[in-house]
Amino acid sequence: MARREVGEINAGSMADIAFLLLIFFLVTTTMEVDAGIARQLPIKLDNPPEQDIEINMRNVLEIMANSNDELLVENDFIEIDDLQEIVMDFYTVNIDQKDSDISMPNYVTINESICQEQITFFTEKSQEEPDNKLYESELNKWKTKLELCQALPTKSYKEINKQAVIQLKNQSGTSYGLYIEIHNIIQRVVNQLRVAKCEEMGWGNYFELKPEINEEDAIIMDRLKILVPERIIESKIQN
Amino acid sequence: MSKFKKDGKKDIPGVNTSALPDIIFMLLFFFMVATTMKEVEMQVDITKPVADQALPIENKDMVDFIYIGFPIDNDAGTQPRIQLDDRLANSYLDVSSWKRMKEREGLTAFDIVTSLKVDKGVGMRIVSDVKEQLRDIDALKINYSANQTE
Repeated sequence: MARREVGEINAGSMADIAFLLLIFFLVTTTMEVDAGIARQLPIKLDNPPEQDIEINMRNVLEIMANSNDELLVENDFIEIDDLQEIVMDFYTVNIDQKDSDISMPNYVTINESICQEQITFFTEKSQEEPDNKLYESELNKWKTKLELCQALPTKSYKEINKQAVIQLKNQSGTSYGLYIEIHNIIQRVVNQLRVAKCEEMGWGNYFELKPEINEEDAIIMDRLKILVPERIIESKIQN
Repeated sequence: MSKFKKDGKKDIPGVNTSALPDIIFMLLFFFMVATTMKEVEMQVDITKPVADQALPIENKDMVDFIYIGFPIDNDAGTQPRIQLDDRLANSYLDVSSWKRMKEREGLTAFDIVTSLKVDKGVGMRIVSDVKEQLRDIDALKINYSANQTE
């Protein structure tokens, strides 16, 4: 008997199947990439420490956005385009001078012995009150600072005044768009400074650090956060 | 001269469609790679603010999303509302219990980042109320969602 020829498979409906899948994916998916500015909210303390330390106003950069989306920095109206320069000044203007008259935060030099002192102090404190999260986080911070000092060739580094903060004040009508714009500008300045620091220290490219995955990168990130801290506090909303 | 003689009616050959599936498959793969699954059905309208310093969220399994915007459905009023998963929340007070409910094996509210997707026209009052709720339960890691470019 002659061999029977195998019939060809009809591929005509293949296109229909592929169309079906294509339409399914078009409907159920979105193009947008999830991106955002990461922030950490302050810890809620059960019994907040009393404000007995006098805060020097030069260490506070007050940025206020009112309900009309107008911007006041240190009680002066400014345009949003000028904010970046002001924030940059806040971080850098006094970095190389002692006792400057410019009303922006001063820098202090941190070395190993200061770190040791603080570690002993906070170890005692946290043993007295083991539940106090504030002492625990301070202790960890000083331990990182000690390691940083030891890693540097100069065995010391310059740190912005520990009271230096950027204070954001909003009103209930302030638009979220403006709020994010302010955060974005602060973040841009901090990133610029960290990129420069990272290069100066020979730690590579700041934006290629993967602290979640790589342990070494996490250490570098912790150190950069100490060298260029982003201290933003947000006051309670007024009306 | 019969060389150019037309021999009656001639059928127009059909268009060859055998390459069509390949083209469609190519499109399909493009969309599969370039897009992500929608998380929820949106109940509020959100135009995200623009921030060039925004960084992509790496690990989406470790993130909860809170949406705040103006309701799409007119019956829900004209004031900004909070959407938790597929439903509109009655008030911002629901946020902390919702966030507690989202805790999953081995992960507490503290470990899971909360991404706030907020319309840029919304006032800060509601955003601040939500943040205060998150602070109450120690869910301190937050992410302000924004588009990287216009």
